[in-house]
Order: sequence, then C-alpha cells, then structure tokens
Amino acid sequence: MNLVSHLAPRRLAVAATVVALIIAAAVTNPGTAGAATSEGLLCDTDAHQTFSLTAQDGFMSTPDGNSIYMWSYGNSTRGFQLPGPTLCVTSGQPVTVILHNTLPEATSIVFPGQKGVKANGNPAQPQYTTPIPPATTGSLTSMVQGAAAKTGTATPSVTYTFIAGTPGTYLYESGTDVNKQVQMGMYGALVVRPSGSTCATGATVCHVNDRPDSAYSPGHEYVFMLSEVDPDLHLAVERSEPIDWNSFTPRYFLINGRTMPDTLAPNNASWLPNQPYGALVHIRPFNSSSNPLPAVIRYLNAGTVNYPFHPHGSDERVVNKDGHAMAGPAGEDLSYQKYDLDVQPGQSVDALMDWKDVENWNALTNPIPTQIPAITDQLLVGPDTWFSESPYLGTKNPLPTNITSNNECGEYYHIAHSHSLIQATNYGAAFGGMMTVFRIDPPLGCQN
Amino acid sequence: MTTIPVNPRPHPTQPSGDPVNENRSLPGFNRRSFLTGGAVVAGATVFGSRLLVAPVAGAAPGLAAYTPGTHPQKTVHLAGTDGWVSMPQGAPADLPFFPDSLAPLNRDTYVFGFRDVTNFTSAQVAAQRGKAQISAPMMAFDEEDDITITLTNLGLLVRPDLFDGHTLHWHGFVNAIPLFDGVPELSLSVPVGRDLDYFYRPHDAGTYMYHCHFEDVEHVQMGMTGMVFVRPKQNRGTPITFQGRPYSKFAYNDGDGSTGYDREFAFMITELWSAAHWRDAHIQVSDWTDYDPSFWLLNGRGYPDTIAANGGRDSNGNLTSADPRLQSQPNSSLVTCNAGERVLLRMSNLGYQNHAMSVDNIDLQIVAKDASLLRGRDGVTNYITTNTVDVGPGESRDVIFTAPSPGEYLLYDRGYSYLQNGGGPGYGGMMTKILVGAPGHYPQQTVANA
Repeated sequence: MNLVSHLAPRRLAVAATVVALIIAAAVTNPGTAGAATSEGLLCDTDAHQTFSLTAQDGFMSTPDGNSIYMWSYGNSTRGFQLPGPTLCVTSGQPVTVILHNTLPEATSIVFPGQKGVKANGNPAQPQYTTPIPPATTGSLTSMVQGAAAKTGTATPSVTYTFIAGTPGTYLYESGTDVNKQVQMGMYGALVVRPSGSTCATGATVCHVNDRPDSAYSPGHEYVFMLSEVDPDLHLAVERSEPIDWNSFTPRYFLINGRTMPDTLAPNNASWLPNQPYGALVHIRPFNSSSNPLPAVIRYLNAGTVNYPFHPHGSDERVVNKDGHAMAGPAGEDLSYQKYDLDVQPGQSVDALMDWKDVENWNALTNPIPTQIPAITDQLLVGPDTWFSESPYLGTKNPLPTNITSNNECGEYYHIAHSHSLIQATNYGAAFGGMMTVFRIDPPLGCQN
Repeated sequence: MTTIPVNPRPHPTQPSGDPVNENRSLPGFNRRSFLTGGAVVAGATVFGSRLLVAPVAGAAPGLAAYTPGTHPQKTVHLAGTDGWVSMPQGAPADLPFFPDSLAPLNRDTYVFGFRDVTNFTSAQVAAQRGKAQISAPMMAFDEEDDITITLTNLGLLVRPDLFDGHTLHWHGFVNAIPLFDGVPELSLSVPVGRDLDYFYRPHDAGTYMYHCHFEDVEHVQMGMTGMVFVRPKQNRGTPITFQGRPYSKFAYNDGDGSTGYDREFAFMITELWSAAHWRDAHIQVSDWTDYDPSFWLLNGRGYPDTIAANGGRDSNGNLTSADPRLQSQPNSSLVTCNAGERVLLRMSNLGYQNHAMSVDNIDLQIVAKDASLLRGRDGVTNYITTNTVDVGPGESRDVIFTAPSPGEYLLYDRGYSYLQNGGGPGYGGMMTKILVGAPGHYPQQTVANA
C-alpha cells in the first residue's frame, strides 16, 4: 500500500470547501435565494413567538459523497432543512408552534423541559389505540397528540402552545415512533433567552441565564446539535422497506446536521442547501479590556448514546444544564470547567469558552524555545493544511506550491470533536464526523 | 478482629543492584518508565525516576531549591513505534485475529506505542524500534516547569510500507498553541526517521493524558496513550494540616489541604479491539464504525495482569519484567496503602466507551474533573462522594479515598460486561485490587503506582 493510496481514504479533499469558506464568510451568496452566509447561531425569531413548521423529507450530503434520505422539520415558508430551524424565544413569553405534516406517517413534536404544553388547546398527553376488550388500555402510539399522515391533498396539522420555560437550550423532536423518526432527523433546537434579554436586538453583552456570571459575547453564540446517522436505516425508509433495528450501526456523526469538514462551512453555504447551519467557532484571544467576554456553546444531544465532546486548546465552563443554572439554593456557583463534555442523550449543556494568549510568544521579544523543522522534515497531512507555518499568532509563512493553504493570516486553529473517536470519522475515515474547529484570529482580526 | 493476611507487594527485578543512578550516561532505570523529565542542572544529569523521590523544594540530591517565578527546565525524549503485547492468559482464541499468528513468543497482540528514550544514545534509541509499550510512559511535572518533549518517529517494524507520522497531543492543555498541540492537519506531524520538539509550560495542576493525534482513531486504539499529570505549586510550600494530619503532596492548589494525599495511583483506561490490531499487522484496514472491543485494559493490561508488578529496564534501556509476557506492558495498576492513609486515584479514559470505576466498602471522593478542582468561582467547594466514578472517553477524574481497615478491596468497572478477557470465563478486563495493610506495613511511596 503506497503512501498516496494509504492516505487518500483517510483525508478528505477540503481545498474547494475551504477556499469557498474564506470567500463566503462575509458575503451574501446570490445562489441561495437571498440567504446571506454567516457564522454562529442562526435562529428563527418572531414578534409573537409563533412558528410554522412543516414535517417533510429531503436529503443531506456528506463530505465523502454520500446523499442520505432524511425527515425533518422545515420552516413552512422555506424548504427542507436538517436539523429543524433553531427557534429563539424569551423566557416567560407564550410560544406557538404549528406543525404541518407532509410525511406518509403521523408525527408530532415533544418539547422536553417545557411545562404545560398544550396540543390544539388540550394538555399534551400520551396517545393510545382504542383498547380491544378484555384489555382496558390500548398500545402507545405517540408521546403526544400529533398530526396524522398526509394521505390526500390536505396537510394535517396540530398547534402546540406553551410558556417558554427557564433560560437555556432545549430540544424539540418527534414524539411519534420516536426511535425511527428522531433517527430520521426530526429534531431541532429551542433557545430560551432570559426574560428581558436584549440579545436578539444587538446588545453588547448577553447572558445564558439570570446570573451575571453567565455573561457571554453576543456575536459568539453557537448551537452544537449532536446526532448520528445509520445510512442503511435511512435507505430502508426511503424504499419503504422494514427497518432491522438489530443491525443499527451509525456511520455518520453530525454537528448541526453536517459532518466534518462541512461543519466548517458558513451558515447558508450554497453547496449545502439542506443543511444550513455551520459549527465553526470564530473568536479572538481574551483581553480584559477589548475582548473580555467568552463565547457560549449550546450543546444538545439528539442521539441515543452519549457524545464526549472534547475541545482542544481551552477548557469550557458549564454554567447551565437542561435549562437550569449550575447554582446552589443560595446562589452558590456550581459551575465547573471541563476539557471534555460528556453530553448524554436528550441533555443540553451550555458552556462558556475562550482562549487566552498566556505565553505571548513573539518572534522578536519572546520567541518559542524550539525550532520548527524544515518543510522537508514536516509531515503535513494531505494536499492542504490549516497550519500557518509559524508559531506566532498573526504570522503566516509560505508553503510549497503543491500544498493548499487553508490559513488566512496566521490565525490559530484548534479542533473540537467527539472523543469516542469512532464518532470523529466519516464512515470510519479519520478527521471527519462530529468535529469542528475553533478559529482564533489575531487580536485585530485578519486585515485584508 | 481477624487480620486478613495481605500479600507482600512483589518486588520487581532490580536493575544491576544499584538504585542510585546519578551521573551515569544512562537514565535511572527504576521499576518502570516513569518520567518526570531529566532536569537540566549544571554539572549533573539527574535522571527521571529520582526527581520523584523528594518534593521539589530542594531535598533531591543535586537539584537546586525552587525559586518562585522561575521555570525549571525538564527534558523528555519519547519514541513512537510499534510492538507486541500480551492479553491475559486463558482468553479464548478469536481466529484469525487473536492470538496474532505474527506475534513473537509470549505475545499475542500488535500495538503502536511510545517509549521513554530520555538520554539514550542514538544507537539505543534506534534499538527501540519495534519495542513499543502500552500504556505509554507516565509523566509527572510541576506547575511552571518548562518542558521540552522531543518525539522521534522510529517507524513501524512490522509495517515498513506504512508511512504514518506521529504527533504528541497533551489532552486538556489549556490555551495551547497549534504548533505544540499535535493535530497534524492544523500543524505538522513527525515523519518516519525524524524528530520534533514540543514545548509546554503548564500553569494548571491536575490529571491529563497524552496521545498521538495522527489518524487518531487508529493510533489511539493501537496504544499510543499515556498518563501525564502536573503537581501544584502548593507541593513546594509548607505542609498543610487537613483532618488532623499534615500533608505535603496535593492534587491541586486547594488552599486548605483538602486534596492532600499519601499515595497516588494513575490509571490509563482503554479498550482493545483485537480484529483491528490484527488488521494493522496484516496490511488490512478497519472500518472504525464497526468498533467492537474484546479486551478492557487498565494501564495497558487486563485483569489479573493488572495486579502484577511494575516492569523495569536494563542498562541498555530495554524493558524487563519478571513475567516475560508483560515485558512491553510495564505499568502496574495494583493499589497498595496502609489503613488511614489518603490515596489519590488519577483516572483518564482514552477508550471509546464509558467506564464506571467502582469500589465496594470504601467511599470515593471526586475532587476534580478534567484537571479542574470542583470548586465554583465563588470559592464554594463541591466535591462529590460516591462509590462509582463514571469516566467518559477523553475525561479524567481525581478521586481520593481514606484507606479503611486492612484487607483486599476491588477497584473495577461497574460495566460488568467489560470484566472479561476476550469473552472467556471468569473475571478479567477492567479490574484491579486495593491492598490495605496495617499502619506502617507498606513503606512510604516514592513514585506513583508503586
């Protein structure tokens, strides 16, 4: 097995993706029906916190060229998307979600963590078939009232209402045939902001919950919706064949419906029309005067196993879990730092992160005590690299012309990924799956 | 009360009889490759194992007292290569994968791994090609050390066709820069036959781990995983009295002695998928999403090998062991302590499954997770008392217990399906023993896991 064929299956050609990433980062892309590209949390908001979602089918694409049949919720005025639209609401305010169903099966939405949810005005309740005597209870068909399968021209619907609960990050997901429908992609994020929050209108500081010490930088808010896909199961659903649950084996591991390196593409990247949400975290070093606020990452696990998420290069402080502040009864700070967040199925974890230039390495005044080897003694993996060829933040040195640079101006990159490393693959190929990067720009950004 | 006889801790093979190895041209070969880094001290070469004999505050012979504000230099040289190890005896065959037909005598499983080659001559370094160990050498440093780790890639003896590089990733190192973080796609990796220097100046005490990040799903599973921990500045200060006893060794700068301990034991938690190891030796590839481990290891060994003695090294730097099967697996997981002592367990998981480490009859107090003391920003402490410590992939835990009355206690993974070797009968896998002796029975600990 020679060098090229050994490496090729384990590396994904990222050059085209990343060049487009650099160009598209701040430019409206005319190819996507007017949807501008962006980074960070992208959510649907509404003055009356009323949202119309349509359960529908579509396809997601993977970096290794796979195209997988999915079901998910779309904003009824847009099209299919995976995951469902992130809904941003304010704690204590009423929320209305109208679900329209175009799927060939009944479906529904449960809102874990919310209380007093009503379906069509009635309390949300588990649904059963009519008992056949002598049985007195029927079999469970759904965790909550839902919308029937679409069989004719009319599109069945159901309306859910609730008062948005405590600040934090929540899942919304199917309550019907849950193991199949949630695996098919029927999940989305609900972000509840503290009451009185001005974050949606461009504040200078935001908070995760009602504690002042949960402050974060408004432009640096991220949702990481974590999930996994067994393509064989999806193919069976696409072909209306029975599912063999005994052979369930996930092959793709997703952040916001994409796998590495698609996770690095911006929101609304035109080449990922059905997967609009990226997961690139883009920050600058902490500075007590010019950049004092951390970023916040809102983790959600829509899968059925835990995902041990490991950021390189920084700890993350868990300040909120499942919509509740990490606080004691007398306001004690029960937050804690982790270098690996083991997010459990159905759980949400809100964590603050930053990166500090602790050593202040500088080529002239404080050089690193080691030497970078000559380029011939470096093993750069594949035809492209994110390495700046310099240890110093903001310095970019040349690469041989046969290697594509993914580095713009000497910024630092750290990966963040599941540490059950089989989940950091695309169908077993390394440097894929449930992975993204933290991009740390020089203090003044990249000056173009 | 009947005194339960406690087996005396078996003594490993002593290298050449002389325990003091200062000013030699070869590293101090203590019972296993336990590294604290060769200190660069003018006029003397102080070797890895000896630095742990005494606290940094000047008691070690030849080592200057610590001056606050300085950064003592420590140097380590690691080599990455391949090798062969042994799963516990009696594990049923799983042909063709286990035992591997290419394995030499007393071995059955192919691995990749690191070796400590600090202060080796070039010839001695080269001679370690094909002699990897699992788990990797444990490393211990102090806050504010300036550490240079040179990584040499010796290539793979069994796979001369494979051009894999190696890197060093210090997992959990806060505010790292990419050049020293070891992710090949974001920095660079070490090609076969070359070296790279990594530099670390740790400011944060705690329990971490290190591993290769080159095609990590493969290299980590193949065995390039090891423990690394950082001792707090508090160890350099005056002893602190906690619960009526003075301590001079602490897991963190707790300020109140609440992480003080008498003995420490570190555990690298992993699983082993025989079929994948066989495939790497036989020029095949594995689909990592089919992961299906058959052995569960603490410090590279499955029970009952976990309780066997630490290995050693001879005067040429080659690994030695009383049990030839375990020659390439030098790190013991046996815990020994005396009644009433406080024992620190450092647990790090570089497997791909969760493991719930449990002890019966002894309360376990989790004082830190992921090298962060369980204390809020307002100073409120929230240690957790339990008997089962769940450690997910990539996480670490610092756990302290007070040794109860003399006897044998088991430390095991409550995930009972992992307490077996290759599906064979009886106990195996992720289990070790805690042997508690009467006060004074075991001599003072000088090095972790001893």
